Amino acid sequence: MPAPLVRFAGVNKVYRSLQSGDYVALRDFDLDIAAGELFCLLGTSGCGKTTVLNMVAGFEVASGGIIEIAGRAVNGPGADRGVVFQGDDSLYPWLTALGNVEFGLKMRGVPRRDRDTQARRFLELVGLHGQEAKHPPELSGGMKQRIQIARVLVNEPDILLMDEPFAALDAQTRAVMQQELVKIWAATGKTVLFITHDIDEAVTLATRIGVMQAGPASRIKGIIDVDLGPDERDRTNDRFVAVYRQVHAMIHDEVAIAMRRSA
Amino acid sequence: MRSSWRERAAQIGGYILGFASLFVIWHIAATYLVGSVLFPPPTRVVLKAIELARSGVLGEQILVSMRRILTGFACGSLIGIPVGLAIGSFATVRRLLEPYTEFFRFIPATAMITVAVIWFGIGEGSKIFLIIYTTVFIVILNTAAGVGAVTPNKIRAARSLGASRAQVFLYVALPASVPYILTGMRLAMGNSFVTIIAAELIAANAGLGKMIWDARLYMLVDQIFVALLVLGGLGFTTDRLFRWAIYTFAGRYSPVT
Repeated sequence: MPAPLVRFAGVNKVYRSLQSGDYVALRDFDLDIAAGELFCLLGTSGCGKTTVLNMVAGFEVASGGIIEIAGRAVNGPGADRGVVFQGDDSLYPWLTALGNVEFGLKMRGVPRRDRDTQARRFLELVGLHGQEAKHPPELSGGMKQRIQIARVLVNEPDILLMDEPFAALDAQTRAVMQQELVKIWAATGKTVLFITHDIDEAVTLATRIGVMQAGPASRIKGIIDVDLGPDERDRTNDRFVAVYRQVHAMIHDEVAIAMRRSA
Repeated sequence: MRSSWRERAAQIGGYILGFASLFVIWHIAATYLVGSVLFPPPTRVVLKAIELARSGVLGEQILVSMRRILTGFACGSLIGIPVGLAIGSFATVRRLLEPYTEFFRFIPATAMITVAVIWFGIGEGSKIFLIIYTTVFIVILNTAAGVGAVTPNKIRAARSLGASRAQVFLYVALPASVPYILTGMRLAMGNSFVTIIAAELIAANAGLGKMIWDARLYMLVDQIFVALLVLGGLGFTTDRLFRWAIYTFAGRYSPVT
């Protein structure tokens, strides 16, 4: 296996709090993600999967251990790691769809005409042709997530970090968005770290699934290779169901533990 | 399109009806219920207003008061916005300046009138000082609240799209706080009206407040009512103009929709 693009080695994350005492989110967390993977991190709520993503993004700092991107320690957020958030509160409602998508290019000082052309190209890629002049509040939840994806892709990051990006969408829109993400991933060859609590979503998208233990002091319980072709990514497919069962068996106990702890 | 036209007509119609009822109730109360020279009916007040307007007295007083309000309001906003932005952006600045804002916002401008007159005299200086005083804290508090209300994900997104801290401020925090700033300014404008009249009542050589005070000395009740009517009208018009300006020029930043 070549050197991993994302590497966690013995990472600890402790949230310090004066009121409720320290909370250990992750302990001795190890994970390798190779370039070009669509890696799904699957876990119950409160298991620390968003913490993992936030540390890759550079939003949060590890309390100990090593986090490296392409062999270099993470030091704050950067344009090499694009983030797609769950909700729409990361979009800029005062900018048009086009303005939101070209935001990163503008920050880098790309001339107006160039960034306009590129932003339009990526809006088209995510199926938002003709919506350039609309503002986020005028668009549906699915369209807003498409803007987020286009906004990140136009910036040409090495990694896409997606934190339950489709969780707030209705089932039909979610299914469409999942298909589109796979298409975009196949077309661009980007590495994707995708956070979800939905087994079905993980098996539909992933090349590998990392199942996390229930929190606190969570780590990876096991990794499952998803060796399914595009036409096998279907709930009714026998091989899909086999992978689903395998993942389900691994996460089943963790769900029970999480339920008991939160009850 | 048609329904929006209808909505507009209903809105304007409602306003006219509301104001008309105000005058009708006023007329009934003054003529039939009270019937005293101390409570003039609207017709007499309007006639008096026309008389004062013709002689140029009314226009002059309005001009004096409005000039004071607008000068103080503009200066207060120009000071308040950058200070509010700094307080909202930097915890150190907030800790340093919060004692000032938290202390002075409980001392109303009207309580400062005497001090202002002693310091800046009976003319323009004290009035403009008071309007700045009444404007600046509201604008600061609202601006700082606006910066504080920017959702963390907006800032995180900008950072991972490659924005520097300065760019985050300029392209995210600033535009996101514009609606709060404009709301603060609108509130400050309302306060300015209260403050200027109080200041002119107590110590001034011109202005609408002075006009009310002079009329009291000679028992010119009609003239007092003219000043009150004008005040209500000016406040209403200024606020509408401000709303209209916000809506027209601020567009997407607009807090009023």
